[in-house]
Amino acid sequence: MQSQIIKESFDTLVVGGGIAGGEAALNLANNGYKVLIVEKDLSIGGKMILLSKVFPTLDCAACITTPKVSEISRHPNITIFTKSEVKNIDKIGAKDFVANVTKQPRYVHVDDCTGCQLCEEACPVSVTDQYQFDLVGRKAAFIPFSIASPKVAAIDIENCTLCGACERACPTNCIDFTQEEENYEIQVKSVVVATGFKLFDPLMIPRYGFGLYKNVITSMQMERQLAPTRPFNTVLRPSDGKMPDNIAYVLCTGSRDLSVGNPICSQICCMYSIKQAQLIMGSLPMADVTLYYLNIRAFGKGFNEFYDQAKGMGVDFTKGKVAKITEKENGNLILRYEDIETGKVSESEHDMVILSVGVLPNQDANKLFSKEDLKEDRFHFVNQPDILASPAKTSIEGVFVAGTATGPMDIPDSILSAGAAASETISYLSRKK
Amino acid sequence: MEVEKGKTAKYLKEKRKVPASVLENLKEFTKIKKTILTALKESEMTIPELSKKLDMSTPDVTYYVMTLQKYGFIATGEIDDMDEYFNYKIKE
Repeated sequence: MQSQIIKESFDTLVVGGGIAGGEAALNLANNGYKVLIVEKDLSIGGKMILLSKVFPTLDCAACITTPKVSEISRHPNITIFTKSEVKNIDKIGAKDFVANVTKQPRYVHVDDCTGCQLCEEACPVSVTDQYQFDLVGRKAAFIPFSIASPKVAAIDIENCTLCGACERACPTNCIDFTQEEENYEIQVKSVVVATGFKLFDPLMIPRYGFGLYKNVITSMQMERQLAPTRPFNTVLRPSDGKMPDNIAYVLCTGSRDLSVGNPICSQICCMYSIKQAQLIMGSLPMADVTLYYLNIRAFGKGFNEFYDQAKGMGVDFTKGKVAKITEKENGNLILRYEDIETGKVSESEHDMVILSVGVLPNQDANKLFSKEDLKEDRFHFVNQPDILASPAKTSIEGVFVAGTATGPMDIPDSILSAGAAASETISYLSRKK
Repeated sequence: MEVEKGKTAKYLKEKRKVPASVLENLKEFTKIKKTILTALKESEMTIPELSKKLDMSTPDVTYYVMTLQKYGFIATGEIDDMDEYFNYKIKE
């Protein structure tokens, strides 16, 4: 049976509820425009909401993100669809767009859930927690993470045994297994593409042993270990729970590497690795931290001072290209690398290795439009045809782009880009009136 | 159809069969949880000690101990003399 299509209209559709999409939506909403944010995940906030601290100020990421997402969620001009996907967008006539949006059931009435977590406690099922990057488990009835917005439970129906324990525990009867997929036809006057980026999958470099050696982890897994809502009681090795005392970072994992199809610099890996190294030295004062790098790119305001600060704290910077990682019986790892300064091949032992994974384009953005062509640049990010005068402009009139959908950038640049997207959208909408 | 609030799982059960792998996963987790909690009832232990006692790999023990800690069954105890491994105990 064909489900009913719900029709709604807004001034702007923002595709993606990360920090860029949220900021663009907020700017538009503050100027009186009605905005719909469509987010594929259960919470808005994107990747930033999962970070520990931000560089180079070492401010708590959650302390910055939480008030922002709260403002976005409560704004009367903003409607948010989570667990939803824009299936396609068509341009109608010269100026309007129609988007088909599918909202997957959460099996929880958002307005009635108090976030008490009693359903989580009652649920007997445990599966890996994607929000902790598989380092621990989570329940099938769960709140994604403690600062999720909305902080509301969801049912992972693929892993649910339908035992009903969550329903029996719920004091507000907000769990509803009769919920079904909802289909929307959304009419808008403009679109902001804020689909963000994808992280490089280190399984593409088998010689680094990710997935094979438990103590080779990604920078996002370390980010979670350093966050206040961390998966472990402190920074520990996933192989045996040992507190590591000699940690290595392999920079440019999946960046500046044509062999994996990504020749460009990811712009953030040097600085987030330096940030993590400083945080590790705070958590584990006796630990040695070594960064294997090709070039340190400390280009932003305060970045070079931040780099000097890390060196002053005792972080070791080795200019070297890591060729291979092998594991010893005790779980320690041997890094074979070319020391670029001496030209010699050397080996060193560490008890944990962090792969500083790079930024890849999210090519989902380019599939949004069925009739129009949202052009990509040569690295498959959304093309900016007039980058200097009109950075948010795309190849489609009325469609603007914000944040890392245009290319790798840090958080302040994403917010700046979102501001530009909002300004250009407002200017476009004003001209239309 | 009038839906009985708080008892809606039965409606989906009629439409959707729970995959065998999901039930198998539940069975395995329940078994491992019981094994780890029973072992820790005897005395607090580090992950390598638990691994040896339960004949289970250390990465698996790490994952399940940390998960049970998150669910509130286990608490962190003192670190060992070498400052390497924490002890884990049943949460009071």
